[in-house]
Amino acid sequence: MTGRFSRVPTLQKIAEAWPWWLLLLALVGVRLSKGAFFADGYALLSRPFWPGSAQSEWLRSAQLVSDKARLADLERDNSRLRQMLQLQRSSAGLVSAAVIARQPSGWWQQLELGKGALDGLAPGDAVLAPGGLIGRLESVTPTTARVTLLTDASSRLGVWVGRTRQHALLVGLGTPRPRLQFLEKDPGVRPGDVVSTSPASTLLPPNIPVGVVQSVNEQAVPAPDALVQLSAPVDAVDWVQVRTR
Amino acid sequence: MGILHRQRWCGATGLLVPLLTLASPGFLKIAGIAPSWAVLWLLPWALVDGPASGAVAGLALGLVLDGLHLGRASEVPVLVLLGWWWGRIGRRGAPIERSFSLGLLALVGTALLGASLLLQLYWQGGLPLPVAGWHTLMAQTLITALLAPLVCSLLLLRWRQVASLRG
Repeated sequence: MTGRFSRVPTLQKIAEAWPWWLLLLALVGVRLSKGAFFADGYALLSRPFWPGSAQSEWLRSAQLVSDKARLADLERDNSRLRQMLQLQRSSAGLVSAAVIARQPSGWWQQLELGKGALDGLAPGDAVLAPGGLIGRLESVTPTTARVTLLTDASSRLGVWVGRTRQHALLVGLGTPRPRLQFLEKDPGVRPGDVVSTSPASTLLPPNIPVGVVQSVNEQAVPAPDALVQLSAPVDAVDWVQVRTR
Repeated sequence: MGILHRQRWCGATGLLVPLLTLASPGFLKIAGIAPSWAVLWLLPWALVDGPASGAVAGLALGLVLDGLHLGRASEVPVLVLLGWWWGRIGRRGAPIERSFSLGLLALVGTALLGASLLLQLYWQGGLPLPVAGWHTLMAQTLITALLAPLVCSLLLLRWRQVASLRG
């Protein structure tokens, strides 16, 4: 019995181990801040290897094409709703950011961007790539930002199909193609229809292209669903644009 | 606890785990899935330094990695368990050196880690079980087990030299 009690650490020994308690406290701090120190350190170390500006120019030219498609969609919108949304988005801006780490597949589908709160980014901002929307900001540190891709299993986004004007919920499955869950039993959607952000959304800018309907499952209950091929190539993009609010 | 954790440079190699997780080198992937760098580092560490040090290292790695990914699923419980278990294996019986044994331990560890994440994500209502989870689980387990004989053998050799010199 005496031997067993002698193995229990005394308060003095626990106090002597204060550096280890400090380390544990720091690690808990890293956990609670969603990796702020490590993400910022990684951004600092990998800065010389960030992608060059060539794709940034390609991004700008692709943005022109994307803007034309958005303009055509906007003309079909309800004018009162559009004016109201324009007022809400009057202060919006675009911030270009390099992709410094990516996990497009695996347990989590996410990107790390090389800009953060110091550049005006905030959680919830829309992230655009050549071709359309790819996700939203989940968290930001002073110099980095983490993007939840539309393919991540935690992603839920209100979208609509412009041709039929049907609203739906885009749900990430952890696979390259998210699922479109319709709200009505007869959405009239067919493969090839373009999916864009909902004009009624208060979280994201309206009419940003998201993807194309690849297949429709009419037998799903309680309402049909569809698989969507995203229009932006998440695996290949090195630069993105963040739409700040 | 062992003596490896008192060597600052040995402990500092643990910083490579979050950095490699973020960098995610493309040539070390199977079907787009990267290996579990935490398992590849923790296995030799726990085998050399014992169960207590292994569990603490697992806790530290888990806290950092949880801060680097989305959502609320945690790697901490399984990494602490693996660190403690591998530490006990390292302290009992003949020292583990064979590539097959290291690969097998890494395979079991990664499978446990993946299964824990799969269940957590499933219970949180996000991940449809048969679609993406099994693919990630199988691919990560396979690539980690294949890399373990190479990575873990080198770390094990180096750290055993350090431990024998200091011990």
